[in-house]
Amino acid sequence: MCVKQVAVLGDEVEFTADERDVDPDYLDYALNEWDTYATEEALRLCEAAADGEVVVVSVGPEDAEEAMRRCLAMGADRGIRVDSDAWLDPIQVARALAEVVRAENPDLVFAGVQSADAVQAATGTALAELLDLPRVAVVTKIELGDGNATVNRELEGGVLDVVEVDTPALLTIQTGINEPRYATLRAIKQAEEKEIDVRQPGDLGEPAYQVKKMFVPPKGEGAEMLNGSAADVAQKIKEIVEEHTG
Amino acid sequence: MARDPKYDILFEPIQLGPKMMKNRFYQIPHCNGFGSEKPMSQAYFRAMKAEGGYGACCTEYCSIHPESDDTHRVSARLWDDDDIKNLGLMCDMLHEHGALAAAELWYGGPHAPCMESRAVPRAPSQIPSDFEHLTYPKEMDKDDIREVQGFYVEAAKRAREAGFDIVYVYGSHSYLPQQFLTPYYNRRTDEYGGSLENRARFWRETIEQVKDAVGDDCAIAVRMSTDMFMGEAGTQLERDCLPFVELVDDMVDVWDINVSGISEWGEDATPSRFYPAGRMLPWQKAVKDVSKKPVLGVGRFTSPDLMVEAINGGSLDIIATCRPSISDPFLPLKIDEGRLDDIRECIGCNICISRWEIGGPPLICTQNATAGEEYRRGWHPEKFDPATNADNDVLVVGAGPAGMECAMILGKRGMRRVHLVEGSDDMGGIMRWVPQLPGLGEWARVVNYRKIQIDKLRNVEFIPNTELDADGVKDYGAELVVIATGGYWATDGLNGATHDTIPGADASKPNILTPEQIMRDGKEVPGKRVVIVDNDGYYMGVSLAEKLAAEGKQVTIMTHLGHHAPYMHFTLEAPNMHRRLHQLKVEMVTYQMPTQIGNGGLTSAHVYDEEHLTEWEADAVVLVTQRRSNEALYRELKDKVGIDTLSSEGITGFYRIGDCVAPRLTADCIFDGHRLAREIDSDNPEVPLPFKRERAVIEREAVLTA
Repeated sequence: MCVKQVAVLGDEVEFTADERDVDPDYLDYALNEWDTYATEEALRLCEAAADGEVVVVSVGPEDAEEAMRRCLAMGADRGIRVDSDAWLDPIQVARALAEVVRAENPDLVFAGVQSADAVQAATGTALAELLDLPRVAVVTKIELGDGNATVNRELEGGVLDVVEVDTPALLTIQTGINEPRYATLRAIKQAEEKEIDVRQPGDLGEPAYQVKKMFVPPKGEGAEMLNGSAADVAQKIKEIVEEHTG
Repeated sequence: MARDPKYDILFEPIQLGPKMMKNRFYQIPHCNGFGSEKPMSQAYFRAMKAEGGYGACCTEYCSIHPESDDTHRVSARLWDDDDIKNLGLMCDMLHEHGALAAAELWYGGPHAPCMESRAVPRAPSQIPSDFEHLTYPKEMDKDDIREVQGFYVEAAKRAREAGFDIVYVYGSHSYLPQQFLTPYYNRRTDEYGGSLENRARFWRETIEQVKDAVGDDCAIAVRMSTDMFMGEAGTQLERDCLPFVELVDDMVDVWDINVSGISEWGEDATPSRFYPAGRMLPWQKAVKDVSKKPVLGVGRFTSPDLMVEAINGGSLDIIATCRPSISDPFLPLKIDEGRLDDIRECIGCNICISRWEIGGPPLICTQNATAGEEYRRGWHPEKFDPATNADNDVLVVGAGPAGMECAMILGKRGMRRVHLVEGSDDMGGIMRWVPQLPGLGEWARVVNYRKIQIDKLRNVEFIPNTELDADGVKDYGAELVVIATGGYWATDGLNGATHDTIPGADASKPNILTPEQIMRDGKEVPGKRVVIVDNDGYYMGVSLAEKLAAEGKQVTIMTHLGHHAPYMHFTLEAPNMHRRLHQLKVEMVTYQMPTQIGNGGLTSAHVYDEEHLTEWEADAVVLVTQRRSNEALYRELKDKVGIDTLSSEGITGFYRIGDCVAPRLTADCIFDGHRLAREIDSDNPEVPLPFKRERAVIEREAVLTA
């Protein structure tokens, strides 16, 4: 289970002095929404098999353990955090995760489709490539077989693909695949006692890109409110349409 | 966040005669039950609004003389020097926040029953009040007129001495100056009656005398109703009011413009059920068009956009608020700071006003549990002390009004974790379906405000679709447990009239229904003819009558009481509710109590003649008889699991709040949830801490030796 603690923007946003990131004072943090669904799906598969272990893996600073503990409170068994304070691109994150996954040698690897903050949708796919695993993206249903799995993929416009894939495999999980459980206060307290193993990353290489500038684009021209009776409004709409269609 | 520049105009200062008001937010005169005799409560209540950014705050109606004694209701009073001391505190505290203080000088005429003073009120003509029972005034001769005008002048001087910056000569709501102006009250044939000039004479002379006495130091405000909706007899805008404005405009520093008389003053203090915000703007604009002076007025404004529109549209110069300032005393500051989603919007239920109408008790507010508690409980609507037991986790079971409020306040008090667990898929409890009754849409603000606040609190988590049983609560892992499982309408006709069930009443049958079954569960109301049995007396029975009649049913509403929905008289909803039901041809039956409900209808008895039975045909019977607490979970935990077992599971506090203790007003449910959260770290949170009481305390020995 690869998870991420994502940054959440408040009502107001300020940027750091170098204009390359959001000022951390204006950020809140939470478990990535996709990862909540992925955790639930992993737990359900283990519960259905009455066997197995869910291991939560994340790359980040110590603060990121808060998000991992949410997964542990839902029922995941233990966690592994690759310690890193640095800004990493998705390939570097995948490299850090790959070391852990190789050592754990799991039957299935889950990641969320994307993270809510960076929205690259790249880490899961990159990790599959590094591990040389088959991968299926945007998964909305999983049926485990013997040495394989039948999964649904969500496409545009509500169309679904049904794909059969050999396991081990890497699946990126879409929101809505299930209804994630809530952790009771007792489970949250018990999760505080669960093990999170902290490991140092190996050589993650250089990032493939750097953020040059982050900003809020200027607003476009304001909307025009049409007032008056229904007939007046209809007349104005007609004029506007005619003006723009020549 | 910073203020949106489009709201800048609301924060521009404005000159009112000799005084400068710092912005355009004005708390209109409104009652609170404190008057001059609970001066600490009065001062703290008004000062909270000044702290929240109001540029000026006014007293409630402020009696100028014992002849204008509204007992049993509570007004402020400026009868003597001791009243100056008491109301002076309010002025001082407003001034500390840079706000102006206003006094609404009031002489009620026949509407003042004088039950404490036993004085005889005076009036233009000897006609008893249309608002009170059995209050006859003395008809004023010219000496009386001079004398009463003198009362105004003396009271104005006392107001100045107390520290008031604005002094009213108050006419609206059918009080003395407006009585002279209005043919309905004024049947005189001398120079104070008849022509407009004559009917205006008393008010004009009084303004003149008050202006002469205090006008160099105080702004003179005149509050006038510009339409009484009474045809020829009532005050009319064009015939009476606009000429009156032109007549006295030079002497007036600020106009306070509204509509209605006193007997239907719900046309002014409009329930949201019948009117949207800003309903008086056309009248206010009409006055502004002819006056050279600033105009202020109410309109239950909670939206800053509507406020700006009222000013830019030339209707008002100053935004006056009454109920929205009770619901959120920090309305101006929140607009100033760009925190619009923190505004606790008034829902227009008029439960605040109901307390004045009942006479005596302090006001309450559905949305703001701290209203009226500023002094006696020391509650601040926006500030919360960290709880001394904040290292505890709390489980709140049930996300209705009480549970939401409790979880929100516990979150604001910094409890480590608060879980608000709800069986259905969203927050709100009964306030999810009550706002779907006709006209009650704004009541959903109760839910919306709390939802937004809870969403912002990182330590509060809302958990839907989770029905907890006793084991679920016991094993949940919380140190503090609050049960807020609400209530339900009796399904067997149990009621407060007979203290018994109604034979044949059983809402599991298809033709017998309860309010939740209709509104929440979608149970179909069979057939054409419906009898609603209402022993509750507030909004539920009549609202369902309106709904079902509007849907084409032939509706009879039956009550054992002498009036339908008597509590709606106090909330000012009664007149228009009656109009609506009458127009919808709802049959309204009083003093009748069902004795038997069958398949084809019911039998009822006259409550004062039990032998006199009447048969009613009905395809459906709706039981609005009484509510019950939904206390099954609480009882199981307390009686079966037991406090000792709970405590061995680490549960050190076990409480319940809201309807699941006893069904009550939503305002009281929210208060209950708020109260528990405020006192969660007291020695025994189950029992409310005592509140400060303002009363005369005697020295016994000194009395006996005197």
